[in-house]
Amino acid sequence: MKKLIALMLSGILIASLAACGSGAAAPTAAPSQDSPAAAAPEEKIVITVLDSGSAQENDFETETLPRLISAKYPNVTVEASKLPDDQYYTALKTKIASGEAPDMFRVAPKGAGSNSVITLAEAGYLAPINELGIVELAGASGTDAFRVGSNVYTVSSGVSILGTYVNMDMLKSLSLSIPTTWAEFLDVCQKLKDGGIQPIVMGDKDMYVMQFGMYQLAASKVYPKNPAYDDQLRTGETHFTDTGSWDTVLEMYDTLYKNGYIDSSSLGISQQQSQQMFVDKQAAMTFDGSWSAPTLRGADFELGYYPLPGNEGSEILCASMAPGSNWAIYSGSKHIDACKNLLQYWFDGESDLWKAYVDADKAVVTYGYGSDRVDVLFQPFMELYNNDRAYYWCNQGWPAGVENEMLAKFSELIGGQNTTVPEITKAMQRKFEEMVAG
Amino acid sequence: MRKFRLKPQSVLLHAFLLCFCVLIIYPLLIVLSSSLRPPGNMDSPLLLFNQFSFASYIRAFEKMQYPKALLNSILTSGASVLVIVLFSSMAAYPVSRIKSKTSRFLYYFFIAGLIVPSQMVVVPVAQMIGRLSIPNNRFTPMIMFITCSLPFSTFLYAGFMKSVPVEIEESAYIDGAGLWTRFAWFVLPLLKPATVSVAITQGMWIWNDYFYPMIFVTRRDQFSIPVVMLQFLGDRENPAQWNILFAACVLCALPLIAVFAVMQKQFVTGIAAGAVKG
Amino acid sequence: MRKAYSSLESLRGLCGLRICLAGSRPFKREVNSVKSRAKRLGLNSLTFPRRMYLFAAPALALFLVFWVFPLIQMFFYSFTNFNGINFNYDFVGLKNFVNIFKDGTLGNSIRNTLVYTIVMVGASNLLGLAIALALNSNIRLKTLFRTCCYIPALFSAIVVGFIWSYVYMPRSGLLVSLITLVGGDASKLNILGNHKVALYGIALVEVWKGFGSTMIIYLAGLQTLDENLLEAARIDGCNEWQLMRLVKLPLISATITINVILSAIGGLKAFDYAFIMTSGGPGKATNTLMFNVYRIAFNEQLMGKASALSVISFFCIIIVTVLMLYVMNKREVEL
Repeated sequence: MKKLIALMLSGILIASLAACGSGAAAPTAAPSQDSPAAAAPEEKIVITVLDSGSAQENDFETETLPRLISAKYPNVTVEASKLPDDQYYTALKTKIASGEAPDMFRVAPKGAGSNSVITLAEAGYLAPINELGIVELAGASGTDAFRVGSNVYTVSSGVSILGTYVNMDMLKSLSLSIPTTWAEFLDVCQKLKDGGIQPIVMGDKDMYVMQFGMYQLAASKVYPKNPAYDDQLRTGETHFTDTGSWDTVLEMYDTLYKNGYIDSSSLGISQQQSQQMFVDKQAAMTFDGSWSAPTLRGADFELGYYPLPGNEGSEILCASMAPGSNWAIYSGSKHIDACKNLLQYWFDGESDLWKAYVDADKAVVTYGYGSDRVDVLFQPFMELYNNDRAYYWCNQGWPAGVENEMLAKFSELIGGQNTTVPEITKAMQRKFEEMVAG
Repeated sequence: MRKFRLKPQSVLLHAFLLCFCVLIIYPLLIVLSSSLRPPGNMDSPLLLFNQFSFASYIRAFEKMQYPKALLNSILTSGASVLVIVLFSSMAAYPVSRIKSKTSRFLYYFFIAGLIVPSQMVVVPVAQMIGRLSIPNNRFTPMIMFITCSLPFSTFLYAGFMKSVPVEIEESAYIDGAGLWTRFAWFVLPLLKPATVSVAITQGMWIWNDYFYPMIFVTRRDQFSIPVVMLQFLGDRENPAQWNILFAACVLCALPLIAVFAVMQKQFVTGIAAGAVKG
Repeated sequence: MRKAYSSLESLRGLCGLRICLAGSRPFKREVNSVKSRAKRLGLNSLTFPRRMYLFAAPALALFLVFWVFPLIQMFFYSFTNFNGINFNYDFVGLKNFVNIFKDGTLGNSIRNTLVYTIVMVGASNLLGLAIALALNSNIRLKTLFRTCCYIPALFSAIVVGFIWSYVYMPRSGLLVSLITLVGGDASKLNILGNHKVALYGIALVEVWKGFGSTMIIYLAGLQTLDENLLEAARIDGCNEWQLMRLVKLPLISATITINVILSAIGGLKAFDYAFIMTSGGPGKATNTLMFNVYRIAFNEQLMGKASALSVISFFCIIIVTVLMLYVMNKREVEL
């Protein structure tokens, strides 16, 4: 009896540890998933993909892409799931720690955010794609942001723009035109307000949207003067606390709240809600990225899009544009080759998948099909871009915590918590040093 | 029961309770009424039940891949509860029966498990799962469900077990029954109230948990109901999406409400069982 | 979060360690002779031999592997600059602890957590007790009322978060619509966007979800009161208020302590609604201890610093819990 019990217990123990794992794989419907020789053409394989964001109607990543991939490679099934940004970071990090990351996932260029290509590549979690044709196709501008050391980890298929969406009908009703300097911009806001129109709506409850306005201002205010500003932060030549740099940007942005140009309840409004309010003509403008164009285009008014001018006096207007984030391949994936094929097919500039991608309004592409017909909405930006008057998004040059600190502190400022602009820049500097020192 | 008399005091009390309960379930009523509208209906949600349609439910049902998610939820929650009941009752057996320093140590050792909130240790746990080469699938979160539930369940069982007379076992021993026989056939059946309490309280949080499945499950078709709810996160404040979102909320809560409706008495005693001393 | 809930339930179990499962007396008499015979034969160590500990093995193994070991690792990480991804990390001594203290994270999150806990303990116990007292009197439709109060507890935190996001939403949310309906001006109502009230807002959500369970426990406690004793007090001239204050409350004081401790522990682990509804905002107004641990680890990529904050929270929670358990046990002895 004694032995029997001991045997049973150890059996249960082993089973309990193993059952959750290998044993439990039995009910899953894809027996080939674990097979190592998955690249063989006939063999059915499943490529898992994790993406950030929330799935829309006829979603490209979770619906169109799997369909078109199966059409091209009948043996490949793409299983894409999307998680909202915060959950995405959490899930990605723990999945990586458990050695079970999805085959492909979204990485951000340079050092931006928690899924930045630098952090992930340095830790060895990404598979390089140097030999793929698309690396050459995308060129330096499309790969630099995803190059770590001598390896390229994914390509940027196009640029993402931060800009100001505007309801042209409202502007015209007050005979206003698109502003090109900061003074003009403030004037437009004031006239809209006087005309009984809420000038700007922002969903500041999702704090990250504050960056949309700030980075546009910084593009004209900070970087034209010193393009190496972010690099020099690391060497100690520049500081966030330097007068005339970020303090000015934050003060300018705060003006919009002080004067009531941005809706006072913005801290309780989410990004989705603010987009809806803009579409519903409850405000004349909103700061948002080019990726929101498909959502906002649905509005029944003439939609405009222009770079928020931060320039005063002799300063020039610059735009905030950056290579968009894209999917990279997990170095521990069992299907690295299949994933590479997928990327190559997707970003070759001419495949059906690429065309669908471009037509789904997913990016402002710089090569291949679609690059010759830039949307009229993005034209003003492309002109600046082609004249080297565009700067990448600031947070790509910073370690992850700095932007969060800035946003949290700025929320306190506009929420009336007696936080001052010098306190914000000081907090940013302290966070920067803490992060860089590691 | 005393005869019900219509005293002003009593009427007041009923009125108060009625108002209070309406207040409590009012948000839920709005959710239910909005979910029964077709997706395009953007009338103020305050107009209760102004239209009746299952269109929103159909959309939510499809978006959630409801049958799959439901099956995943049932499988993981059910299996977790089974293992919890088995492991924790077994663990409670020596703890409550042997009177020694070792058993007291075990007792307090398990107590400590109540204190650590899980988000503290998520990354080390994930590393451990990687180290043991446990693959990520719909059953992986069970490991954490079980581990997190063990402290409570073990203690509940230990508490109940102490009041099962030792004599039952002694007579069984004299009759030649082994340890396992005594445990499984004499002790465990007497602990039914504890088992009900464990199954209900632990089953409930496991069913509703979205954190571990979100972290440990990679494939879309293995997500449980709360995880598929996450994809609606962007819709929570978008009036244009409310009807579908609310339909999804109802679909998410429905299974548990159904169980509650059938087993209300067990729920009430199960929840109270742990807290009230006889 | 979910763990908080499970442990909440767990503590209920903990508190009920000495539950009396009515051992039947006739049966006891019957086995008494067997017992004494067994004692004479020295059978006790035979009936409960040491190998019984094997029964605890499965639970213990899981516990060690997935709880104790990760915890030790967390302590270890708190002295490193591990970022959660890259395993080439260095030891940085006490720097993480110093940073938490210096940048105000610790003060802010402890303050928020305490406020949240106090609101939750106060509101859910007062409400729970009041409703339980009301339901325990001569009431019709008792089950219906009880069910109404308990139903929110069945919903997943994420669904509750969705529902209350809608309730609190400015401009078109439930509260705003209601106030507008009765003719008030709600254009300025912005609960989650106001740093002064956001914390109370999410604490209230937790109360809404949780007070039903508290109420059920109070109700069970009240039902154990001896009706004869209450009748005797009435005859002695106690009015209802005195009856409650001098007789009922002291008699259920154990239940009160239990409920207070349970809600306190739930409050100390507050995470869900800061995570789902406010993301810690506006600013840092709803950054609770647990949310900060999460935020620092996953958004700022400072696993080391997050571990340091975890270590501090760990000791905070232990101290509070042990203190409360001590007080509770003492009171139970007295009663």
